[in-house]
Amino acid sequence: MVNLLFYAAALVAVLTAAGVVLARNPVVSVVSLLSCFGSLAVIYLLAGFQFLAAIQILVYGGAIMVLFLFVVMLLNLGGLSPEAEDRDDPLFHDRRRSAGGLAVAVALGSASLIGILRGARHLTEPTNGFVLPAEGYDALPALAEAMFTRYSLPFEAASVLLLATTVGVMVLAKRQRSAPPAGEERP
Amino acid sequence: MVIVKRKTLTLAERLYLPEILRGMSITFAKMFKPKVTRQYPEEPLPTNEVTRGQPRLRQLIDGNLACVSCGLCEAACPAYAITIDGQETDRFIEREPEKFEIDMLRCILCGFCEEACPKDAIFMSTELELAGFTRASLKYDIDKLKRTMPELAPRMDYIKRINERW
Amino acid sequence: MNDFLIILIKTCVIYGGLIGAAALMTLAERKFSAWMQLRYGPNRVGPWGLLQPLADGVKFIFKEELCPDGANPWIFRLAPILSAVPAMLTVAVIPFAGDVTLFGVDCGNLSITDLDIGTLFLVAIGGLSVYGVILGGWASNSKYSLLGGLRASAQMISYELSLIMIILCIVAMTGSLDLRAITESQNTGNPLSWNVFSQPLAFVIFVIATFAETNRHPFDFAECEPELVAGFHTEYSSMKFALFFLGEYCAMIVMACLTTTLFLGGYSVPFWEDAPWFIELGSFCAKAGFFAFLFIWVRWTLPRFRFDQLMHLGWKVFLPLALANLLVTGAVISLA
Repeated sequence: MVNLLFYAAALVAVLTAAGVVLARNPVVSVVSLLSCFGSLAVIYLLAGFQFLAAIQILVYGGAIMVLFLFVVMLLNLGGLSPEAEDRDDPLFHDRRRSAGGLAVAVALGSASLIGILRGARHLTEPTNGFVLPAEGYDALPALAEAMFTRYSLPFEAASVLLLATTVGVMVLAKRQRSAPPAGEERP
Repeated sequence: MVIVKRKTLTLAERLYLPEILRGMSITFAKMFKPKVTRQYPEEPLPTNEVTRGQPRLRQLIDGNLACVSCGLCEAACPAYAITIDGQETDRFIEREPEKFEIDMLRCILCGFCEEACPKDAIFMSTELELAGFTRASLKYDIDKLKRTMPELAPRMDYIKRINERW
Repeated sequence: MNDFLIILIKTCVIYGGLIGAAALMTLAERKFSAWMQLRYGPNRVGPWGLLQPLADGVKFIFKEELCPDGANPWIFRLAPILSAVPAMLTVAVIPFAGDVTLFGVDCGNLSITDLDIGTLFLVAIGGLSVYGVILGGWASNSKYSLLGGLRASAQMISYELSLIMIILCIVAMTGSLDLRAITESQNTGNPLSWNVFSQPLAFVIFVIATFAETNRHPFDFAECEPELVAGFHTEYSSMKFALFFLGEYCAMIVMACLTTTLFLGGYSVPFWEDAPWFIELGSFCAKAGFFAFLFIWVRWTLPRFRFDQLMHLGWKVFLPLALANLLVTGAVISLA
């Protein structure tokens, strides 16, 4: 029963995560991301982390996604116009900078992946891995310990990755807006 | 230039909550006051001779209509609600309506027909309710329109009284 | 098997009660508003108009369903569900009474579940109901709906902050996130141990913030008839509209229950510590009923705020006050 629930939740999480990137409509992306967070919360619940599940819904579902939605609605993004996907944009052609960015992204991603895999290996060793506490928010100290000792590297890498993503989004959005329409001089 | 002098608020007023509580006490007290709503079908509207309801035709004592089908009301009607076909009769007045129809869906209860009538044959009654399932059923013919004199008496007296003023 | 049956029955009873209370609340809203305006209110359907919600429900079902041109049909359909379901889910953690013994069978406590993170669950799920409003506003493809949705999102986030700060004060005083533990800590037989007397400022802020959180007057900017037609549900009809309605009233009832639990000692009866469960339930219903009445009472008394006043109140008055309250509470607890 629990396994079945886990696989269902995991499937939903993966599908909706794919939906976030694949959807053409930004609001659909936001809704998919929301359902992704919901299914993650279900997975946390199945693992016995009630507190983490509630926080997941409270912080990500209740607060952050509302802000996302707010911004998306305010921007009222249409589909990208052909002009916006301007291939002459120097940003796309500066190979050196693009390669640098890619390298940093790969490094951060693999660092978090390696960290998670390392942690996961410990999970399978009953003597060394941390034991899932039984119930409720008593699990909190164990969770904090895991996050700030064993998983501190992937945790930090993920946060830096998020920061880099934020900066990247800013850069892309800025470029798009300041690019002059075709056949018009920059004032 | 109009200079609006703002009232300086006291501390209690600026705190807002006491004033809100005052307002709420007012609405709470209102809940127990007698209601002013009229429960309409059970409590009909009060009417008197001034009430200008739907037009009705006056019957004489012998049961015939007072109308001579002169067509003045038909001409006066701003909503074209009245249709009259006249015919001859052996009675002293010589003419009477063969068909007298008022389309109650068109009638605007203005009372012009009542003013136009030279024979005091049409009066605004106190009847106000109008409901039916088809449009045709609300086209009133003579049978539906005729009323005996006692029924229309208060209105007749009233019209006579105000006509005497000039 | 027996436990499962008991839980099933309790769930059915509590949800039936919630839906019934929400239906009754729509009637009460119209009745009380009528009385305050010297009218009678609905009195034709059934005795005293008691069957009016039923008639409304039948009417809603038979109304035509409309989906505006250019609207996103899936999100348009999703929004009313997202509005109603979280509001109904949150009632699961509210403790209505103590130990229930019925026909000699010990049925446990009268609540669907006593989650040890009950408050957190309530806040987390309750916070999701804003999506129904925002998505409904966006998916309608109407400027009024969109503005209503935007306002609702800004407003609910602003006031949720103060709300959570206040809940934190109570949690800090009790030392537990469990709503039943919070109730039991106030259930001493002495009404002075209710949190409303130790946290009067928090109580006032909490009650006002619940009005903003449930989009009720004087903060109903998501609807705001004179400016936005009907706000986020302008384009909704039939049962979809009814679901929004149901969500709003369920949220009101849950908020009334939460206020009762946090500040008025929940099901505790004054001067009677070990009251039987039906007295406790009656006590709870009386207190929650008062707050439900307060929602209606305030709506028909106060005019609507201006949106900038709302934001001013939320961010510059309530949040600092709530934070200061939390600070003082923390200081007192650590000193005592």
